[in-house]
Amino acid sequence: MIKELKPLSSLAALLGLLTASGLVLAVYYNPWHAFASLGFIEREVNEGWLVQAYHATGTTLLFGLAYLFLFRAMLARGYRAPDDLAWALGVKLLAVLLLAGWLGFVLTGGAAAYWALVRAANGALALSGAAGAIGMWFFGGPAGEGTLARLALFHAVLGVAALAVLAAAYRRLKPKMSPGVCLDHLARFAVLALIFSVLAFFFPHLGQPAVNALPGDPLTLPLGTALPWYLLPLAGIADALPGAWGGIIGVVGAVAVLAALPWLDGSGPEAVRSRWYGVLTWVWGLDVIALGITATARDCPQASLLLALFALWYFFHFLVLVPLVTAMEAK
Amino acid sequence: MMRRFFAPLLALGLVLAGNAQAQDTLSPLHFQSDGPLGGIDKAAAQRGFLVYQTVCAACHAASALHYRDLEALGLTSDQAAGVAAGVKLADGSAATLDSPFKAPAMPASAFGGAVPPDLSSIAAQRPGGAQYIYALLTGYTTAPDGVTMLPGHFYNKAFPGGQVAMPPVLRDNAVTYADGTPATQSQEAADVAEFLTWAADPNLGTRHQIGLRAVIFFTLLSIVAIAARRGGGG
Repeated sequence: MIKELKPLSSLAALLGLLTASGLVLAVYYNPWHAFASLGFIEREVNEGWLVQAYHATGTTLLFGLAYLFLFRAMLARGYRAPDDLAWALGVKLLAVLLLAGWLGFVLTGGAAAYWALVRAANGALALSGAAGAIGMWFFGGPAGEGTLARLALFHAVLGVAALAVLAAAYRRLKPKMSPGVCLDHLARFAVLALIFSVLAFFFPHLGQPAVNALPGDPLTLPLGTALPWYLLPLAGIADALPGAWGGIIGVVGAVAVLAALPWLDGSGPEAVRSRWYGVLTWVWGLDVIALGITATARDCPQASLLLALFALWYFFHFLVLVPLVTAMEAK
Repeated sequence: MMRRFFAPLLALGLVLAGNAQAQDTLSPLHFQSDGPLGGIDKAAAQRGFLVYQTVCAACHAASALHYRDLEALGLTSDQAAGVAAGVKLADGSAATLDSPFKAPAMPASAFGGAVPPDLSSIAAQRPGGAQYIYALLTGYTTAPDGVTMLPGHFYNKAFPGGQVAMPPVLRDNAVTYADGTPATQSQEAADVAEFLTWAADPNLGTRHQIGLRAVIFFTLLSIVAIAARRGGGG
C-alpha cells in the first residue's frame, strides 16, 4: 500500500500549495478587470509575482505528476483489484483537475483565455435542451466579465473538490508512518522542490501559450489552439470531432474510457505483465503526446487529418486493442 | 504633440553623473537580462527610460508603470518625483509618483489608423523580446524593388509583413546621455529594449537570484535526503 501512497503525498503537497497561493491570488483578483488585476498582482502586490509563479508552476507540476502516475498505473496494470478504487479516484482527480485547470487558465483574461472562453460559452449556449440549460447555468450567458466572476467561484470549488478526492484516497489507503517512510517522503519532497524551483524561477511561463501575454480583446485572435500544455491532448481530441457535441463527447469519452479501463481489461487478476499490452500502452502514451503537439500545429495543412488519426487511435486502443489483447492472453 | 518636456533630462543627469560609460553591448548585440542568470542593467535601463520618455512616450503609453517604479532602477524618491514633475498631465497639472505612464489622448486617425500599442509588457508580448525590439527599431530600410507600400507605412525588415505604420523615430543624438555614452541610433535602440525588458518583467533579476539560491539549497537537501534514505531506510 505504501507504493500507492507515494504519489498521493506529492499530489497533496502540490494541491496544498495551489490552495494557499490561490487564496492569496483570490484576494486581489478582480474578474471585471481580469488581465489588469493579474498585472496588479505581478507588479504592485508585495511578492505577488512570486505567489503567481508558485500557482502556475504548481499547476504544471501537479498535472505532470498526475499524468505520470496514471500512466505508470496503466503500465503496471494497477487499475485492477485490489487497487481498482485507487485507480477510480485517480481518474476522478484527473477529471476535476482538468476542469479546474481550464477554468484557471480562462481566469487569466489574456487573449488566448478570452477566446477559449468565448468558444466554450458560445458552443455550450448553442446546444438545445438539457445540455443547453446546463451550459446556461454554468456560463450564465454569453462570455463577458460577469462570466469570469462565476467561473472564479467554480475554480475555487473544484480546488476543494480535488482536495476531497485526495482525502478519500487517503482514507482508503490508511497511511502508516515509520522512520523509513518519513525519509522516503523527505527525499521525494526535496527532489520535487528542486524541480519546482527550477521551473518557478527560471521558466515561469513554461507550457503557457505566448499569445496569452496580450490582454483579451475581440480583435486579438490566437492562431490555432492556444491552451496550456496540460489541456492540449484533450483539446486535440475535441478538435478532431466536429461541432460542439463532438467536442463534448470527445472530452467526456476520453476520460470515461480511462475510468472504464478495469472492465476493458479482459484478463483475470492472476495474469501478470504482458509484452503486447506494455507495447500498446507505450504507443498510446506517444499517441497522447502526438495529439498535444498536433493540436498546436494547426498551420500545418495535414494537421486536421493527423489529429483525426491520433484521436481515432486513442479510442481504438481502449475499445478494441486492450480488450482483444488481454482476452487473448487470458486464454 | 511633444507633451513630455525636458526636465527628465536634468533629473537623470543627476542619477547617471557618477556612472562609468556603458560597456559595448552592441558588437555583438547582447543584453545583461539575457540568459538564465541575467539581470537588468540598471544604467542601460535608465538610459532606455530617457529614450522612452523623450521619444516613445509622445505616442506610446506604458500604463502599468508608475513613476515610483523608477526607484527600482536606482533613482531616489526625489529624483523620481523630479521626473514626474516634468510631465504634464492632460489637465495641465504635473504628474505624481503614482501617475501611470500615460499616452496623449489622440484618436487612431492621428496615427494613420494604427493605434500605438501600450509598451508596459511589449517585451513579453512579442516573440524575441528585447532582440525583436532592437531589430525593429534599427530595421528600417528602403523597400525592396517590387514591394508596393501601403499609404502611411514604412518598410521595416524586422516587422512581420515588412510594412509598419510607425515612422523611424530613433536617430543619432535623439537624446543626450548624461553618462557620456554616445547616443547612436543602435545604442538608443539597445537601451530602450533593456528598459522595456525591465518594464515587462520588473522582478527578473530578483527571480533569478532567489532561484539560484533555491536550486543550490534543494540540490544539497536532495543529496542528503537520498543518502539518508539509502543508509537508514534500506
